[in-house]
Amino acid sequence: MEVSKPTGILAPNDPGAWTRREATHLLWRAQFGASAPEIGRAHKEGLSRTLDRLLTPQQESGEFRTVEPLLRETAYDTDNIRDLQAWWLYRMYYSANPHLEKLALFWHNHFATSNGKVRSVPHMTAQNDLIRREALGSFRKLLHGMARDVAMLIWLDSNANRKRHANENFAREVMELFSLGEGNYTEDDIKEAARAFTGWHVREDEFWFNARQHDNGTKTLFGKSGNLDGGEIIDLCLGHKACPRFLAFKLLRTFVLDQPTEAQVTALAARIREHDFSMQPVMRELFSSRLFFGAEARHAIIKSPLELVLGACRALEVRPNLRVVNRITGQLGQAILEPPTVKGWEGGRLWINSASLLQRDNFAMALLEGKVGVLPKLEGNAAHYRGTLLAREVAGLDGIKDDPRRVVHLMMTLPEFQQT
Amino acid sequence: MFSRRTFLKQAGATGTIGLATLRTRPHDLFARAAKAGAADSDGRILVLVQLAGGNDGLNTVVPYENDIYHRQRPSLAFDKGGVLRLNGELGLHPGMTGFKELFDEGALGIVQGVGYPNPNRSHFRSMDIWHTAKPDAKDKRDGWLGRAFDGMARQLSGQVPAMALGTDRLPLSLVSTKFAVPTVQSLKDYQLQLGKGSKVNRDKQRRRMRKLANVQARGSSDLGFLRRTALTALDTSTKIAEVITDYKPAKPYPENGLGQRLKSVAQLITADLGPRVYFVSLGGFDTHAKQKGAHASLVNELSSGLRAFYSDLKAHDLSKRVLTVTFSEFGRRVKENGSLGTDHGVAGPMFLVGDTLKAGIHGKHPSLSDLDQGDLKHHTDFRRIYATLLENWLGWPSKATLGGNFRTLDLV
Repeated sequence: MEVSKPTGILAPNDPGAWTRREATHLLWRAQFGASAPEIGRAHKEGLSRTLDRLLTPQQESGEFRTVEPLLRETAYDTDNIRDLQAWWLYRMYYSANPHLEKLALFWHNHFATSNGKVRSVPHMTAQNDLIRREALGSFRKLLHGMARDVAMLIWLDSNANRKRHANENFAREVMELFSLGEGNYTEDDIKEAARAFTGWHVREDEFWFNARQHDNGTKTLFGKSGNLDGGEIIDLCLGHKACPRFLAFKLLRTFVLDQPTEAQVTALAARIREHDFSMQPVMRELFSSRLFFGAEARHAIIKSPLELVLGACRALEVRPNLRVVNRITGQLGQAILEPPTVKGWEGGRLWINSASLLQRDNFAMALLEGKVGVLPKLEGNAAHYRGTLLAREVAGLDGIKDDPRRVVHLMMTLPEFQQT
Repeated sequence: MFSRRTFLKQAGATGTIGLATLRTRPHDLFARAAKAGAADSDGRILVLVQLAGGNDGLNTVVPYENDIYHRQRPSLAFDKGGVLRLNGELGLHPGMTGFKELFDEGALGIVQGVGYPNPNRSHFRSMDIWHTAKPDAKDKRDGWLGRAFDGMARQLSGQVPAMALGTDRLPLSLVSTKFAVPTVQSLKDYQLQLGKGSKVNRDKQRRRMRKLANVQARGSSDLGFLRRTALTALDTSTKIAEVITDYKPAKPYPENGLGQRLKSVAQLITADLGPRVYFVSLGGFDTHAKQKGAHASLVNELSSGLRAFYSDLKAHDLSKRVLTVTFSEFGRRVKENGSLGTDHGVAGPMFLVGDTLKAGIHGKHPSLSDLDQGDLKHHTDFRRIYATLLENWLGWPSKATLGGNFRTLDLV
């Protein structure tokens, strides 16, 4: 089928408007911050080639190919979630496919599952692998996969969902949090869907269709009746007009700006529908669009703890101690693989209060004192760091002449630094 | 080559962040405006205690003489000899000796049968409803107290209207569009670290931070919000560093989470830090299975903590100025389940502790025979309690905050 081209606010941005600032903007959003050399490379190569690199699989470095499996194996051996968190942080920071990791975090937040209840490194890893396999692939496959994912089934009490004793937990979250959003279904819809998922159980650490506990009666959802099973329920949700809108809203809020408008949601939802939930072309169009490079999208997102901490390490070219990074991002409210609730992290202003802001400031000091990782000698040139850390002018900053460490500290404690 | 052992060794080398205590001049942010003719309620403080998970009201304020209660709760019911009797029908859970003492001293109020129409049994949704005081709307941009602060913005200008202690995030009820309300884990953590340099350099850096944040710290943009929060953070950390040094509680607090959080609240109130509202939470009330031991430990933590808090404030001559109120997202089902626990229900009691309240039991115990799908029916809308707290305790109007006229109760 022929795919149309995006128009309007999602039409491609003027290719001539590509300076270091645009490159910085793209890299801060598409990955966890960027170093000066990375920004320089993206600027030189141009938007199109940079997106090729971010959106298609790149060969990992030799070091990555050695260390990553070791970390993963360590987590399996110790069965300690801290080790698995360190493994994922390593991937976020060192992978040659950083956008894949950032999208994986987006989906982890979307399908927020916590080891606090699952209590299994292998199950959490398997879910993470599923996410990574489809992060730039198909949301259809991802949603179907999640309905059979062992960590998810444990997380949402699927074994309690039995014929004649339906447990609505999973069916409710499929609609409320995974595909449609509140207000787009009724309580009856949830009851019918829960019946269709009866018997979708876990046995011996694997998905198991427990036919004896499956309700084979007639169910009705969104006008379709029959002996529906879970897979058909998911397809009905994917076919609902609210589904691409729900995804569009979340993608805009994570990657473009905090308060998406109706028009923006409608425009992106149309592209998601056009690409039949295939994420790679959707992300490419989004990151090429006038909307993404427009003034209202600049500095329009409050950094998550991971963006803040990994981004600062990247900008200062620190090789961080990932255990320390894990502890700090956890204190700041974003412990990966342990989201606070099934709704994940709401983000935006909820990241910020005076206590978390003090902790963010204290992280800046710890980083500059070398307590997060070895800090390379800082340049004397404040403008250099203003480019990588802030990517904008801040009144009153350039006049300050002091030890470069104190100037950088000042930049990292600016309210402006909390935005990207 | 990397080996797992050396890698782990490197990765395990954690750096700890040193605490640097800063002492600079107290800032006027917290200085309470000495206004001529200020109303009585000006110095009054509300402490909210959230019981998260859905407290089993029926086993907290127990209708020990009721046959239905005993029939529906064969393994969980307390009998006449088991409860701390309040009157001929009702008794407190046996673990709540602190509350019994407060009751006998006339410092405890119990409002029975509190809830709202068309109750929602989801933790998230029902908690959101209690926090927003909007049962029908899904708007989660602000909370009921946050809106009250916004309505009093002119009078509260320059103050920190509220503070949450020990919560993971800012409770929705305190989310305001005009004030950045701080969340504090522990008072010691709430200090800005400025490294090893000389005190002169540290003070200079702090002044620069303040100056750079103090640009157009108004408006509704994210940057305005970040700047306001940055100023609050800097000023609060300075103030707290001053108050934590030499506080001595008049009575010992229990060595548990809630007790210690209440102790911190008492410290801040004693120091006259300024917030009108403090928020603490006690979690774990979602007792679906083997409820007995878990619930006993929770209500004991609540009762002993508030007992100590009240005595401490009393010794500091502050108990007249402080009202403590508990709430939970819902009560639990009348009939116990098959796992020695109880499932999500609807109405429940609220507790008030203080010196200037109408002590005793308010309202009837909800009927155990006239149920709605197995759940108690509420007779008092929680927004009437909120209206009472706003109008009669804090002295603030409630209509705009609560989106309607809710009749106040004769509680304070």
